[in-house]
Amino acid sequence: MTTQTPARTVPAPSRPAPPARRPRRRGNRSPFHPATWTPAVAVLLLLGAAWTAVAAEHPYILPELGEVGTALVTSPLVFLENAWRTLRIALLGALIGAGSAFVLALVMSEIPVVRRALMPFAVVLNVTPVVALAPPLVVAFGFGMTPKVVVTAIITFFPVLINVATGLRSVPPPVLHVFETLHASRLEVLLRLRIPSSLPYTLAALRVVLPLSIVGAVVAEFVTAGSSGGLGTVISNAASTARLDFVYSAIFCLAALGVLLLALVTAIEHRLLFWHESQRRASS
Amino acid sequence: MTPFPTNSGESRPASDLIRVRDLTKTYAGGDPSRPALDRVSIDIPRRHFVSLIGPSGCGKSTLLRVIAGLEGYDSGEATVFGTSPKAMCANKAVGLVPQTPALLPWKNVRRNIALPQKVNRRAGRGGEDPDDLLRMVGLGELGHRYPHELSGGQQQRVAIARAFGMRPEVLLMDEPFSALDEFTRESLQLQLLAMWERMATTVVFVTHSVREAVTLSDEIVVMSARPGRIHEVLPVDLPRPRDTALVNSPRMHAMEDRVRASLESAWQAGAAPDDLVAL
Repeated sequence: MTTQTPARTVPAPSRPAPPARRPRRRGNRSPFHPATWTPAVAVLLLLGAAWTAVAAEHPYILPELGEVGTALVTSPLVFLENAWRTLRIALLGALIGAGSAFVLALVMSEIPVVRRALMPFAVVLNVTPVVALAPPLVVAFGFGMTPKVVVTAIITFFPVLINVATGLRSVPPPVLHVFETLHASRLEVLLRLRIPSSLPYTLAALRVVLPLSIVGAVVAEFVTAGSSGGLGTVISNAASTARLDFVYSAIFCLAALGVLLLALVTAIEHRLLFWHESQRRASS
Repeated sequence: MTPFPTNSGESRPASDLIRVRDLTKTYAGGDPSRPALDRVSIDIPRRHFVSLIGPSGCGKSTLLRVIAGLEGYDSGEATVFGTSPKAMCANKAVGLVPQTPALLPWKNVRRNIALPQKVNRRAGRGGEDPDDLLRMVGLGELGHRYPHELSGGQQQRVAIARAFGMRPEVLLMDEPFSALDEFTRESLQLQLLAMWERMATTVVFVTHSVREAVTLSDEIVVMSARPGRIHEVLPVDLPRPRDTALVNSPRMHAMEDRVRASLESAWQAGAAPDDLVAL
């Protein structure tokens, strides 16, 4: 074993072609395949039948589905306009609540004293039924948008705070060590490592919080009913005059808003988290 | 057991050595009578490839982290080419390859490799071209892929390319191949040697594998556990560059046997691990 021609790198064993960039979910049928949607449709039909049966017997418990449809079709503008008002409040409140929670989580992760000082109060705020704050907030801020936005913001605040705070600490130690040996500044670690690592947690929080924001907006609208619109106002006004068709039309609109917001978060997750395990359950 | 193991670094100036002197470290909550590192002294000359090997708990990873400036110590001294480990890091002169690839999953391979150039720009250290690095580790056409689309071996090659990217003066590797299959591991070892010869850097390599240590190293530092001490420093007098033929030769096997014997006596020198039941 003496001087030999220097043998160079043996290439690593060639593996089967790695999957394409964003692998399609294998093992998942297309949403259009009958096996995918038949069970849900069957349950939907069953529910519809049950509803119709109850409505025929007790018109003061449930309105006829046909009446609900008629209400939606004959006055679509009422529902669209009020849905928009509710959505606007929900989104504005969520933006303020989630935004300030995100910023506070950043501050807490960098300055432990702030964390120790504020976390107990955030927890207390979380266990307080925040919707109970709506009446005093109306007294404080009047019947405009402000109390509704404030209620929504408070409701969305805590889940985002907790999740982002957890996400910012979820960096694997080896990656942190690599940054440390590069003498990365705290700001660089935050921007290049901690915030991207916290994204899956942040989006999971949004998944919870955006539908919650509609709850906040509607409850606030109940309290301020009669003054300014929104689907909550539509519901409480219609209920007081026993217009159940309007009540359920508004409820369907609220459900549709919730689905819309959920779809929005799912789309964002799919786009931003293509690298994360949560987006490729089926393919691995 | 030699308390002050001698190796070829004895006559060199400190600016040419990774020098550890009488270094003692106890972890918080650890038994003070059995430090993780107990009066450890060693000199690692510039451009040498040195492996740390020993039973679990012998402090080899701790010693690596001390040299990386990631870990403090109770007493003694650690300098890297005449300055402190932290100062080396501030100058971006230290490359680290941890046990897991530690890539950023949201960045593609090329951007992962370019990361050291983006961070701590004040150090003003120009790096290698990411595409050159990728070609060097044989991943030339995978620059646009994301880590989750790569095999474990490919990911670790990206991590190695990233560490070599700053032309570091010291490359610290903590069992980088331990999670890979035998075949991938052997090909990566030879690839690593080729890069090391080309970049002329100093490598400290922690491993559990005798064969890996012998294949790669100029010197093998055998450590014993509880307390963590240096048991013996064995020079590996095998020619370079090393290739597959040499790796499978009788000389190689003889060297492996020597290291195994040393490990055996290191095992007996150290106290038994607390979690083993005496038979």
